[in-house]
Parts: sequence; structure tokens; C-alpha cells
Amino acid sequence: MHLFLLGVSHKTAPVDLRERLDFSSGDLGAAVEMLAAKPAAAESIVLSTCNRSEIYLASEDAGRARQEAIEFLSGFHQLPQDAFVPHIFTFEDAAVAQHLFRVAAGLDSLVVGEPQILGQVKDAFHAASQRHCAGPLLTKLFNWSFAVGKRVRTETGLGEGAVSISFAAVALARKIFGRLQGRRVLVIGAGEISTLTAQHLRSHGVADIAITNRTAANAHALAETVGGRAVPWTERMTALGSADIVVTATGAQRPILTREQVERVRKRGNPLFIIDVAVPRDVEPSVGDIEQVFLYNVDDLQSVVEENLSRRAAEITRAEGIVADEVARFTAWRRSRAAVPTIVALRQRFDAIRRSELQRLDGKLTSLPPEARARVDEVTRLIVEKLLIEPTEQLKALPDEETQVAYTEALNRVFRLREEESREEDEESAEQARRE
Amino acid sequence: MGRAATTLLLFGALAHTFVIGMQTMEVRFNPVASTSRAVSTFVWLLTLSYLYLELTTDERAMGVFILPVIVALQVIPVVFPGMANSDPVLNSAWFWVHVSSLLFAYASFALAGALGLTYMLQFKEIKKKHLGYLYTRLPSLQILDVMNWRAVTVGWLFLTVGVVVGVVWTAQARVIAPNDPNLQAMSLDDPKILGAIVTWAVYSFAMFARTTLGWTGRRAAWLSALGFAIILLNFLPVNYFVTTSHTFQ
Repeated sequence: MHLFLLGVSHKTAPVDLRERLDFSSGDLGAAVEMLAAKPAAAESIVLSTCNRSEIYLASEDAGRARQEAIEFLSGFHQLPQDAFVPHIFTFEDAAVAQHLFRVAAGLDSLVVGEPQILGQVKDAFHAASQRHCAGPLLTKLFNWSFAVGKRVRTETGLGEGAVSISFAAVALARKIFGRLQGRRVLVIGAGEISTLTAQHLRSHGVADIAITNRTAANAHALAETVGGRAVPWTERMTALGSADIVVTATGAQRPILTREQVERVRKRGNPLFIIDVAVPRDVEPSVGDIEQVFLYNVDDLQSVVEENLSRRAAEITRAEGIVADEVARFTAWRRSRAAVPTIVALRQRFDAIRRSELQRLDGKLTSLPPEARARVDEVTRLIVEKLLIEPTEQLKALPDEETQVAYTEALNRVFRLREEESREEDEESAEQARRE
Repeated sequence: MGRAATTLLLFGALAHTFVIGMQTMEVRFNPVASTSRAVSTFVWLLTLSYLYLELTTDERAMGVFILPVIVALQVIPVVFPGMANSDPVLNSAWFWVHVSSLLFAYASFALAGALGLTYMLQFKEIKKKHLGYLYTRLPSLQILDVMNWRAVTVGWLFLTVGVVVGVVWTAQARVIAPNDPNLQAMSLDDPKILGAIVTWAVYSFAMFARTTLGWTGRRAAWLSALGFAIILLNFLPVNYFVTTSHTFQ
């Protein structure tokens, strides 16, 4: 059985093609079932996120699996094959494991280390597993990848630190205030970053988001988007007095918050976190000198993000090391599975010899009492088992595929295992011939 | 790693409990009557308070500041066991309440000091926008500030109880043993007593400043660090090198 992977990702295909090959918007389960119906697909899983669509197959014939995967993509999405075939990538066996482990660890993501991908890999597996399309090999592979994703997250700093301005702002707010429940937010002006920041703050359970804008209609619109309340522009200073976190994003050419204004409305002792994402700045820099006021502008947040990104980049090598380690372990596991038929044949051969010898001695053993005969049977069985313990272990732990082929070949020849197999095959074909 | 460290500290604290318990029960040895034993008891109380904090908040970062203090202080009772028996004047329940409340107060202040120090480091990183190694590991400013406030409040209460009991007990003891030189020397110009009063004044001010002047955050952190510096000064050099009314032979 081979592992086979065919897919497109943000590294190989432009966004419009990825959109057309996306499964996540539709019924993923139906897609997996349709794929699993293909004859070469013994086991199948479809992984689809906004950055990738990937088809994982376990198949006896990798060449046919490739063709069927392409047919499936083309058929399911109503796309001519020429439209996407130049953009696909394919992997086989150990390379499939390496790719999936890197994906699960967040190493293949657009933003390295982003945390959502592991959940998406899990969803893909569950969608296939619920419809009995996953099978033993892909189940093992995917469960292994969950462990790799978790290991990379706990053992490296790959997912640490916010890597977008709005997340960095929320992370800072949490470092200042601890839990954000019960905190009050004031948003002055509107903009993409301020909207995102307000939404993140809302998801952390802030008590109140007041939104003010020179144009009242804009304030109402934003209040609706983020679930806050609009405050008239003239009352912004009152709102500032009771706020813990302020986000400013107006288009004003000159500062709209001066040190004097802030000092006038602030109660002493309460910390105030001001996030100024406007360019030019909305808040006088000297406001940041007030005791208990923390002022961050867009450049400060950008440098936090860049620092976090470079810290993540430094962790990539360690994460890749973990992936390589796990791929090696997964490959060793598969090899140990590949040794099973040889081990079984070896056991059958030894046992057959044991039985035939016992049978031969049957006449001489009849004089013995039943317990003694049972003992003889037991002892011979134990001898065979003991003889096979070490070879079994060694066969399961062979270092690479080449050695494994050589050993299998040697064992087949030394113990005439192949001969018996082929004799059985001959008998089968003879029987078939008879039937025909 | 962190979990292993906590477990190790827990075992250390249990062993310490056993030693102090044995000395008190078997040897009939007052666990607080000599400076070295008092230091040992203080370390024990501080460890227990810190463990409580660590186990309830799951924040381990402060251990970096607390454990060096614990280890350094415990060196003293290890080097000078100070098991000699003490002045019969000290065989009093009042004495026991006096010393143990003060030790507990000092343990709380030690925690408050470490929390204050942590707060200042964290504050500086956020304010100066250098989010470095500590930023990712320390608890939030708010948590540090609230824990500091609690530790100072508890410490101040026990300090007050300890000082009041000391005054009351001195008055009683003077009646029983009018010629005891130590009891005669108990006055405000005694360095040990003066130190305690200064400590009490500093923490009273910290309490007052927080509730009425709005001195939270960094100012409160400064005060608790300053207060603990005075305590250390009063506890160690004064006890070991200066003869005071509290030097019992």
C-alpha cells in the first residue's frame, strides 16, 4: 500500500484557482465519499482550507491514484484538467508524511505557526472518518500528524507572539489588564485595523465598546459591526474618562488627544492603554509620559509584530527538526508493518516443521501418558517461539527499505518461503483454470 | 519543568515543616526564640505563602525572585543553628503571638516586594516598548498589582497585631520581672523597635496612598520594595551585629 498526495496550495497556485478548487465552502463529506468511490482509492481524506486543497490517498497503485485524483478534482469542481494540472504538486509515501506533518505544525502556512491549521487538519480527518473513508493507514498518518502539530507547539516557540497589528494590540491589553472582562473600550474614528482590534477585544469579553466619529452615521455603522454603541463626537472626552482601552483611527491632520486633555479627564491610578493606529498620529506623544498611560502607535505595534515574526523564524529550524524526526519514526513504523508478511510466513514455516515432526513421532509417543504428550507439544512450541523472537524484532527494526528488501529476499531463499507462496499461487491459478 | 520545580519546592517545604515540628514537639524548643530559628521559621512561612500563590494562580515566574531570597536566608540557620535555650522571660503565649505575627507579616511583605519588583520590570518593558524575554513570561500588570495589594494588606494587619501585642506584653512582663535589662530598654530609641515603627509607617503610608491618593501600580510597587528593604535591614544586620533590647542571651 502506498501513500499518495495531490494538491494545490498558496505556494503553487494563484488565489483564483485555489478558490475554484476549494472544498471548505461546500459539503466536504460528500466530496470525500465521491473520491472514495474511485477504484484505486483504498483510503481517502480531503483537506481544504483557504490556502490549500489537498487529496490524501492510500492506494496500491500510485500512478492510477494520481489519475483518479485529477479526474475527481476536475469532475467535482467542473474544471478542465488543463486549468489546474500545471499548478498541482504530488508526493508519495514518506514525502506525504513529511508534507502533512509540516502542514499540521504550521510550517507550510502563509503565516508560519498560525494555530488554526491543526484544527482544520482534524476536521478533514473527522469528515472522512465519519464516512468510513479514512482507513487504517491514513488514520495512523493523520493521528500521527496531530501529535506532531502538538509537539511542535509545545516544544518550540513557532506559534508564540501575535503576528498581526490587531492581535498584538489585544495581547498588550491582556498584559496590562489581565482578563479583559469588564473593561471599557473607546474607539475614535474608523478603519480596518481599529475595526479588527475592536472585534478581537469584543471576543475577549470586554464590557462595553463606545464608538465615536465626526460623522455620526459612520459611528453607528461601526457600532453595528462590532456590537458596540455610538457616542456623539462632542461627548468623546466623557467617554475617555471611563475607558480602559482607547483605539484612535481618525483622518485628522493634527492630534485630537493632547496630554492636557487626557490628564483632565483621567482618574488617577487607573491604567489607560491607548492604541493609536492613525497616520498621521491622533495622540500627542507626550501622553505616553503620563504615569499609568501606555501609548502605542502603529509603528510600535508593527515593530512588535516584526519582532514576533523574526522570533518565529528562529524557531523554524527546530520545528523542521521535529518534523524530520517524526517522519523517520513514521517510516520506521511503516517498515515494521511491511515486515509482517515475511514474519508470518516464517512462523508458519517453522510451525509446519514442528507439526510434521510431532506427527512423525506420534507412534513412539503413544506409550506416554497424556500430560507428558501435552508437555512435549508445549516444549516444541516454546522452542520455535524462542527461536523466532530475535529475528522478528530485527526484521521490524531494519534501518531502510533496501536492507529490508535484501533481508526479505534472503529469508525467502534460506527458508524457501517464496516457493511455498508461489506454489499456493500456482494452485490457485490451477483451480481458477479448472473452474473456467 | 515548572511542574517539577513546584513539586521539589513542595517537598522542601514539607521537610522543613517536619524539622520545625520535631524541634518544637520533641526538643521542647521554641521555634522562634533565637534569630536563626526565627529566620528558619520565616523562610518556612514565606515558602508556604509563595507556594499558595503559585498553586492558586499557576504563575511561576515570580519564583525567580522569591527563591533566591528563600535560599539565601536559609543559609543563616544552616550555618548558625542557634539551638541554645533562651531567657525564661520568653516563656509566654504573648511572646509567641508577637513573634509569629511579625514573621508572617514579614513573609507577606517579602512576597509583596517580589511582586513589586516584577511589576516594575514588566511596567518598564511595556512602557518603553521593549517587549523582551520577561514580557512573554510574567503575569499581567493588573494581576501583579492586585496580588501586591493583597500581600501588603495582610502584612500590614499582622504587623499591627505583632507590634500591639509586643507593647502589651512588655507592660505585663515589666510587672513580673521589673529588673530585666531587656525590658527596661524597650523604648522608641532602641534600633530594633525604631526599625519596626519605620516599617509600620512605610506600609501604613502605602495603604493610605493607594486608597486615597491613587498610588497604584508602579508607585505601590516601589513602596513595597522599599518596605521590604527596611525589613531585611532590621531583621538581619540589626539582629546579628547590634545589641538591642531584643537581644536575649
